[in-house]
Amino acid sequence: MTQSTKLGLFSLYAVVLLILAACSDKQEGASVAAPPPAAQRNVEESQAMVLLRGLPTLGTVHSVAIVELDPDAANFGAILQEVELPDLTLPLHHLYYSPTGRLYSTGLDPSCSLAEVGLSRNAEGAAVINGVNCLDTGGQQVGEDIMWHTVDGKEYMFVTFMGGTGVDQADCGSVGVFDPQSNAVIKIIQARKSAAAEGAPYILYPHGISAYQDRLVVSSTVHPDLATGVGNAITVIDLNTLEPIQNIVVEDAKPVGFPSSPVEVLFVRPSIAPGAAPAVLVNTMFGFEVWKIPYNEADKSFGAPVKAYDGATAGTGVPLEFYGNATELFISHALPGIVKRYQLSSLPELVPSGEDIKAEAGAHHMIFFTAASGRNVIAIQNNLLNLGKAEDGDPTDVDFMAKVNDHSITVHDLQSGERLARLGFKERYNKGVENLEALFGSGFVHHH
Amino acid sequence: MATGGCDERQRVATPLTGFSAPFVFGRFEVPADNPLTEEAVELGRRLFYDPRLSAAGTTSCSTCHIQRLAFTDGRTTSVGVSGRPLAFNSMTLANLMWGPQRFFWNGRAASLEEQALIPIQHADEMAQDLGRLVAELAADASYRELFETAYGETSPAAIARALASFLRTLVSSNSRYDQFLRGEIALDAQEESGRKLFMAHPDVKVSLRGANCIDCHSQFLTGGFSARYDGFANNGLDDEEHLQPGLQVVTGNPAHRGLFKVPSLRNVALTAPYMHDGRFRTLEEVLDHYDRGVRNSSTLSPLIVEADNRGGPAGGRISLHLTAGEKAAIIAFLHTLTDQDFVTAGRFSDPFASK
Repeated sequence: MTQSTKLGLFSLYAVVLLILAACSDKQEGASVAAPPPAAQRNVEESQAMVLLRGLPTLGTVHSVAIVELDPDAANFGAILQEVELPDLTLPLHHLYYSPTGRLYSTGLDPSCSLAEVGLSRNAEGAAVINGVNCLDTGGQQVGEDIMWHTVDGKEYMFVTFMGGTGVDQADCGSVGVFDPQSNAVIKIIQARKSAAAEGAPYILYPHGISAYQDRLVVSSTVHPDLATGVGNAITVIDLNTLEPIQNIVVEDAKPVGFPSSPVEVLFVRPSIAPGAAPAVLVNTMFGFEVWKIPYNEADKSFGAPVKAYDGATAGTGVPLEFYGNATELFISHALPGIVKRYQLSSLPELVPSGEDIKAEAGAHHMIFFTAASGRNVIAIQNNLLNLGKAEDGDPTDVDFMAKVNDHSITVHDLQSGERLARLGFKERYNKGVENLEALFGSGFVHHH
Repeated sequence: MATGGCDERQRVATPLTGFSAPFVFGRFEVPADNPLTEEAVELGRRLFYDPRLSAAGTTSCSTCHIQRLAFTDGRTTSVGVSGRPLAFNSMTLANLMWGPQRFFWNGRAASLEEQALIPIQHADEMAQDLGRLVAELAADASYRELFETAYGETSPAAIARALASFLRTLVSSNSRYDQFLRGEIALDAQEESGRKLFMAHPDVKVSLRGANCIDCHSQFLTGGFSARYDGFANNGLDDEEHLQPGLQVVTGNPAHRGLFKVPSLRNVALTAPYMHDGRFRTLEEVLDHYDRGVRNSSTLSPLIVEADNRGGPAGGRISLHLTAGEKAAIIAFLHTLTDQDFVTAGRFSDPFASK
C-alpha cells in the first residue's frame, strides 16, 4: 500500500468518526408484544442464515448459523443452530439461494472460495444445517457474488472471484461460469489488465454482478489484500461468447483520493421494475456515489454514465448493496450506517420513497420479513468487512475498515424505520457477522 | 372407550430418529400433542395395514391406498366394505405435512388426526365401531404394548394419532425431479421443456408459452397450499348446472361450490385415474381437459379462464392452445415426479406381509 493511499484511508477514518459521533442511539433487546397464535404464524420467516466470522483476539472460529431475528420473540438473537468451520482461516462470505432452492456461499479462504451448504429438516420441521461442501473452482479465489442467469435457453451460475486465479497477482480477478446442476466449472473468464492490449477490455477484482438478456456486468472493486490496487470501472461481458467486450469507467470526485471502487451493480430490467428503461446502477465504495449507465437493448449499447447520487455532498459514504421488495429499492451506505430507499416504479431514476433507515456503521446486507406481531420489518447487518481493531491487538485491522463495523444486526420497522431491536454479535457471541440471508425465501429479491 | 393409563407414554416413547425431509419442502408443524415418535409411527403403520380396522375384517386403509400406486387404488372411485362405489377417487398419501390443514377432496377434515377416523366409521368404507375396535385391539398383546408405549392408552384418539403419525412419515423425496433439484441429474430436453411449460403462465405479449399448471399446483411436490382454503379450486370439470358441492359442503359458501382440493402431483404418473371423481383415465386426457375441455361456471378459477397461448379467450372458448408436442413434454415432466423409492420403501410397506 502506498503512503498516499494510507493517508487517504486515514482521512476517511477521521470523517467516519465525526459521522459516527452523531449516531449512538443503540438499543439492545426487543420490545415484546403478544404474538398471534402460532398456527397463524410462519415461525420460520423471521429466522435468518448468518455467516459468522471468528475474531482472532476473542478465540472464536468462523461458522454458519441460524438465528432468530423476530424483535417480538422471547428468544430474539438466539442462535438456533451453528456449524463451526475450524478448518477455514478466512470465513465464508456471501449466501445465495439458487433458483431451485440450493444454498451456496462464496468464501474468502483460498481452500473454500465457493461452497454449497447442505440443509434439511428434522422431525420437528426445523431447518438443519448438514454441513458445508467446498466446491472446485478451478483455482479461482475470494468468491464474492453469485448470479444465476439463462442465455439462449441454457442456465449458468456466474460467480465473481475477486482474487481470480491467484491473489498473488496484482491485477487478479475472474468470473467463474459453472454448471448450475453439477457445480462443474464450465469456463473461467479472465482478462488480466497487464495482459490486455491498450484499450482492450479487462476484468479486475470483480465483485458485483448483474445481467440482462445477453449482457453481464461485473464491477472492478479492490484487490483482496485491500492494498495492492483499486478499480474504477465495470466490465461488460457478452454472454454469447462469454468474453469481456467493454469497460465503462464510473468515477468522478475521488472524495478520499482513491479510485472509485465500484462494488455492487444492478441491471435494472423489466422483470424487477416493470416498464423500466434498462440501465445499470453502480455503487462506488470509495467514490461514495451511485451511477446510472443507460442501456439500449436495441443495439446493445451502453450510454455515458450519469451520477445518480453523490454521497460526498449528501454526507454518506461507502454505498454497498442493492435490495428490493415489491415497491422499493434499498441501498445501504456503510457510512454513517443508513439504508436509503427509492421508488421501484421510478427506476432507473433514484426517486426517494421515504426517510433513511438509520442502522449502524457498516450497514450492508439486509432481509425483509413479517414479525409475529404482523409488523413488516427490515433486518440490517452492520459491518463492512468484520475486521478487528488494532488497539485490541487484532491482526486483521486494516485502516479505517476495522471501524466501519458495528458487528450487529439491527431490526427496524419497514414503514417508519423505527429501530425495534439490535443484536450485537461481538458482545453476545464474540464473533462478527459477515452476511445474512432469509432462511427460507430469498431476501435477494432485486439483489442482482 | 379407552383402556390403560396415561402416564407411561412420556416415560418410554422414543423421539423419532433418522427422520429427514428436504429443506425446500418448507416448514411443517407436528401437533404438540402428537409428536413423532418411533412407537407412534410403528403403531400407525400396523394399524394402516390391519383389516381389523373394518367391521368385516376385510378392509384396511391400504385397501384403497396401495403403496405401489403411491397409496391410491387405481379405481375411478374407491370401493369399501359395502361394495358400493364411494363418492371420490382415492387420494395419494405423500408429503401430507406440507399440505393444507383440510383433508379429503372436499376438505371435510381439519387435521390428519380427524380424517383418520372418518373412513373407519363410514358405512361404505370400513363400517367399524370405534368401541369395538378399541376392545379388539386392546385384547391383542402386541397392540396393547404399542399403544401403552406410544400413548399410554388404547383409545380412538390414540388410533387417530398413530395413523396420523404414520401418514406424516410418508415422505417422498427421491423422484428424478428431486434429484434434479439437488443437482444430481439433469432433465432431458423434453422433460426440461415440460418443466418450463409447467411453470409458466402464458403471456403472448412476451411470447411466453405456458401450460398454467403452476398457478394452482404451486406446491406440487408436497401436499398443496398451507393456508386454510387456498388449496381448493374449480378446474372446469363441470358447467354451472352440474357443479358438485365440493368445498361448499364445509364452508356453506356458494363461492366454494365446485371447488375441490388441488392435489399433490408427486407420483402422478402412478395415481390414475384422475380428478376427484376419477373421470380421466390418463394424463393425456387430463392435458386435453385443460387444453380444450374446460367448462365455464361462476366459480371457475380465473387463472384458468385467462390462460391462453393465443391471447384469448376474448369471449371465445377457454383453451390453452397447447401443441401436441407441448402436451407430451408436460407429461414427460410429470413422469419425473415418480419416486420409485417411495413406492417400494420397506418402512412404508405392510408389516404383516413382511413377517
